[in-house]
Amino acid sequence: MHAGTAGLVDALRAAVGRDACLCRPEELFVYECDGLTMHTGRPAAVVLPSDTAAVQRAVRTCRDFGVPFVPRGAGTGLSGGALAPDGGVVIECSRMNRVLELDPANRIAVVQPGVVNADLSKAAAPHGLYYAPDPSSQQACTIGGNVAENSGGPHTLKYGTTTNHVLALELVLPDGERARLGTRAGPAAGYDLVGAVVGSEGTLGIVTEVTVRLEALPEHVETLLLIFRDVVSACRTVGDVIRSGLTPSALEIVDQRTVAAIEDSVYAAGLPRDAGAVLIVELDGPALALGPQVERIREMARSRGATRVDVARDDAERARFWRARKGAFGAMGRLAPDLYVHDAVVPRTRLPEVLEAVCAIGDRYGLKLSNVFHAGDGNLHPNISFDRRDPDELERVVAAGEEILRVCVEAGGVITGEHGIGTEKRDYMGLLFDDADLDAMRRLRDAFNPDGACNPGKIIPTPRFCAESNPKARGYERVPFE
Amino acid sequence: MKGRAELEALRAALGARAVRAHTPIEVDGVALGVTVAPADADSLSAALQALSQRRLAAVVRGGGTRLGFGNPPRRADVLLSTERLTGIDVLDAEDGVAQVWAGTPVAALREATRARGWELALDPPGEGSTLGGTLASAATGPRSLGFGPPRDSVLGLSVVLASGTRTRCGGRVVKNVTGYDLAKLYTGSFGTLGVISRAWLRLRPRPERELVLRAPARGLAKTLERGVAWARRPGVRALAIVDAELAARVDPGSRGAEEGLVLIELAGDAPVVERDAERLARELRAEATSERALERVREVQGSTPRPSGMRVRVSALASRLAAALEPLARVGAQLLVYPGQGLVYGFVPLASANDAAAARAALRESARAGDGTGCIEDAPSWAKHGDDVFGASGPELALMRSIKRRFDPEGVLNPGRFAGGL
Ligand SMILES: Cc1cc2nc3c(=O)[nH]c(=O)nc-3n(C[C@H](O)[C@H](O)[C@H](O)COP(=O)(O)OP(=O)(O)OC[C@H]3O[C@@H](n4cnc5c(N)ncnc54)[C@H](O)[C@@H]3O)c2cc1C
Repeated sequence: MHAGTAGLVDALRAAVGRDACLCRPEELFVYECDGLTMHTGRPAAVVLPSDTAAVQRAVRTCRDFGVPFVPRGAGTGLSGGALAPDGGVVIECSRMNRVLELDPANRIAVVQPGVVNADLSKAAAPHGLYYAPDPSSQQACTIGGNVAENSGGPHTLKYGTTTNHVLALELVLPDGERARLGTRAGPAAGYDLVGAVVGSEGTLGIVTEVTVRLEALPEHVETLLLIFRDVVSACRTVGDVIRSGLTPSALEIVDQRTVAAIEDSVYAAGLPRDAGAVLIVELDGPALALGPQVERIREMARSRGATRVDVARDDAERARFWRARKGAFGAMGRLAPDLYVHDAVVPRTRLPEVLEAVCAIGDRYGLKLSNVFHAGDGNLHPNISFDRRDPDELERVVAAGEEILRVCVEAGGVITGEHGIGTEKRDYMGLLFDDADLDAMRRLRDAFNPDGACNPGKIIPTPRFCAESNPKARGYERVPFE
Repeated sequence: MKGRAELEALRAALGARAVRAHTPIEVDGVALGVTVAPADADSLSAALQALSQRRLAAVVRGGGTRLGFGNPPRRADVLLSTERLTGIDVLDAEDGVAQVWAGTPVAALREATRARGWELALDPPGEGSTLGGTLASAATGPRSLGFGPPRDSVLGLSVVLASGTRTRCGGRVVKNVTGYDLAKLYTGSFGTLGVISRAWLRLRPRPERELVLRAPARGLAKTLERGVAWARRPGVRALAIVDAELAARVDPGSRGAEEGLVLIELAGDAPVVERDAERLARELRAEATSERALERVREVQGSTPRPSGMRVRVSALASRLAAALEPLARVGAQLLVYPGQGLVYGFVPLASANDAAAARAALRESARAGDGTGCIEDAPSWAKHGDDVFGASGPELALMRSIKRRFDPEGVLNPGRFAGGL
C-alpha cells in the first residue's frame, strides 16, 4: 500500500483538484486527531471536495487504491470519530458549506454537510426560524458532523437531538454510489434509513446533503440562575422539575469545581466562588405561561435550599448566565494542556449518587475532575484536565474514565449520550451490549459498508478472532445463521 | 401450514399451549389456520428458531388492527402472535420512563401511565392496538402533532431476530448514542427484521389542561392554510380537518359543518389553553366539544368504507396539501387532513375493479402533487392489484434489501409484505 501512496495523491488530485488535496506532513498534522487528543492516526492525504460528484470521485479513487477513508467535518468530535486510519484518506466537507435552500413555508432547510451549525440558525433567523440542536461547539461544528454523531445540546431536553430534526439525506455510499434517503415531506417507503444513518459516525457513507426541519423562534424566553450549597440539592431540584410536569428547554448544572475555574478565567460570570453548584433553567413558550412557571421553579429551588435565585432581566443578563455554562470548557482547558470531556448518561433520578461516585473516582486517581452537564437528560460530562505528555497521568485518566462508565452502566445508564463511540469507547461497548447485540449492529453496518473501508475501526469492537488488518475479516459475521 | 406433521413438530418443540389451530384467518389472500403464541421471550426465541429451521414463514400479529396493511405475503405458514407477551415491567413515575411487553394493549398502557401522572405519547387508531404493533407499523393518530412519531417514544428495544437470537438496542435513558440506532430501523419495519418483544418508552408529562374545540370549515382547501398556521402554535396537540360527510360521524350534533369541520385539541398550562380557546373562538368560531370527538376522528382514520373500500394515506408538504387533496376528491374520497403533520387520509368506496384502478391512480397523483409519498393502508386484495401498497420505492431499495437479507436471510418474517416486497 505504501508503495502506491505517491500514485494515490496524484489520483486524488485528479479527482478533486490540486488545490483540494493536502499531503505535506505540516498540512496533515492537524488531522492527526479530533477534539479527543489522546487518540491519533496519520492519514496519507486529506481531500476537500466542493460537491457531491467530487466526493464520489474521491471515494472511488480510494477504492481503486484499496485505502480506507474517513469523512470529517470541523474535527470538534470528542470520541475520535474523524480519526484517520494510518495511511487512509480524510474526506473533509468544510468546502461544502452552502445553505442550498430555505423554505420558510414548509419550515425546511436543505444544506451541504460543511455548513457550520450556528450559521444555519443565522440564515434562518430572518424568517423567524432557527435550527434547534445547539451543541456547545455550534460556532465551529458542522451539520454533517452533527448528523454523524446525532449531536445534542443544552436545549435537547425540550427539542430533541439531531435525529428529531433530519428529514432527508443524500449520502455517498462506501462504494461511491449516491443514495437519497427520506423525503422532505417525511419518511420514504420502507425502512427508516435516515434514522439509521443519523448517529452512525461516518461509517455508513459520506453525507453530502441534509434536509432539516426548522423551528419557530420561541415567543418568549425566561432564564434562571440558581445557586445551591451542594450539587446534590441542584440535582434533586432537577428531579422535582421533571416530576412536576414542566418541560424547560434547558436544565444545566455546573459544579463547584467548575465554578471556581470559571471565576478564575476570562469567562468569569460573577458567580460566588463558594457556590456548591449552579443550575441554569431556561423556559420558553407563551409569555402567559412562563410567569407562573418561573414562580413554580423558584419555589422548588427554595425548598431544596437554593441560596440564590436570579431571573435574567434582559438578553445581556441571559448571556451572562449562559457564560457560566458555556465558558466551562474554555476555563477548564486553562488548567492543563489537555482536557478530556467525558460523556455518559444515567437515569435522571440517579444523578446525585452517581455524581458523588464520579467525583470520588477522580479524587482516588488524583485527577482534576469537574462536572458540567445536561442535568435534565441525565447526561453527565465529567471533565478531566491533564497533560498527555505525562504517561502516568494519561493512564490514570483512562482508568478513571472506564470506572466512571462502569458506575453509569450499573446505575442503568449508557456510555455516551452525545459524543459517540468512535475509537474512544469502542472497546467498552461490551459493558452494555453482548455479542448478539453487537452482531445486529454489524449487520446494519455491513449492509452499507460491507468491507469496512469507510471509517474503519469505529463503534463496533473487533471480533476477537479476526485480524484488524484484514478487511475481509472485518466484514465477517461472527454468529452465523443456522 | 404445510401439513399436520409440521403442526405436530411445532407443538412438540414449543408446547401445545403455544401452538393453536383455528379456523383460517385470511391475510391478503392467504388463509392461515395456525397461530404460534409464545408466552415469554425464551419461547419467542424458540418459536423463531423452530420456524427458521423448518423454513416456515410467519405473519407477525399484534392486535391484528393493521393486518390488512401490506402487500400480499410471498409466503406465509403461521401467524406469530404477541398476545401472551403482555405486561408493564417498569413504570418509573420519577423518571417518566416505562418498560413494557410488546403485546400490551395501548389502551391499557395509556390508562396505567395516566394513573401515574404521565402520558403515553402514542395514539394509534384501532381498538386493540398493541404496543408492538404500533411501533412496528409506526402507527400514528391525531395527537402525533404534539406527540411526534412513535420512534420519538422509543428509548430501547428487545428484539428477537429471525434466527431466534435475542438482541437489545438503545437503553432506558432519554439520551443515548451508544452504537447504531437500531431502534429506528425496527420501528416502522412492519416486523420484517425481527420481532419486538419489549420496549423502553419515554413518557410525556401530563398537561395541566386539555380542551377539544370544534369549528366549522369553509371547504377543506380554504381551511388548510389556517389549519397549518394553527397547528404550528405551541400547545396545539391535535388538529384535524374533515369533510362534511365525515363531520357527521365525528361530531354528530354539530351544526354549521356543511362544509366540513375542524377539530382542535389544546393541551398545556391552563391560562394558555384558555387564551388560545378565546382566540380560536374569535378567529374560527370555535367552541368546546367533548374529547369523544377526537376519539371519533381516530376511529374514522382507522376505518375503511363498507362493504368494500380503500383507505389511503398521503404525506405531503404543508404548502402542497391543497394540491394533494384534489385528485382524491375527484374519485369521491371522503377526506381527513392533519395539516400539522402534512397527512391526508382518503376513504374511497369501491364497487368495481375500475373504481380501484381510479383510486390507485388518484393516490399516485396526490402523492406527486403533494411532493411526498402515498400508501394504501387498507383494501381488499383484489383492489390492490399487485401495486406496491407502500408506493414506488427508489434506488435505496437495494440498501433495504441488503439489510433484510442480513437480518432475515431465510425470509421467515413477513416475507413480501413490506415496501418493495421486503
Ligand atoms: C468545546 C466543545 C463542546 C462540545 N459540545 C457538544 C455538545 O454540547 N453536544 C454534542 O453533541 N457535542 C458536542 N461536542 C462534540 C462535537 O462538537 C460534535 O460531535 C459535533 O457534531 C462534531 O462535528 P464536526 O463537524 O466537528 O465533526 P467531526 O469531529 O469532524 O466528525 C465527527 C464524526 O462525524 C463524521 N462526519 C463528519 N462529517 C461527515 C459527513 N459529511 N458524512 C458522514 N460523516 C461525517 C466523522 O467521520 C466523525 O465520525 C463538543 C465539542 C467541543 C470541542
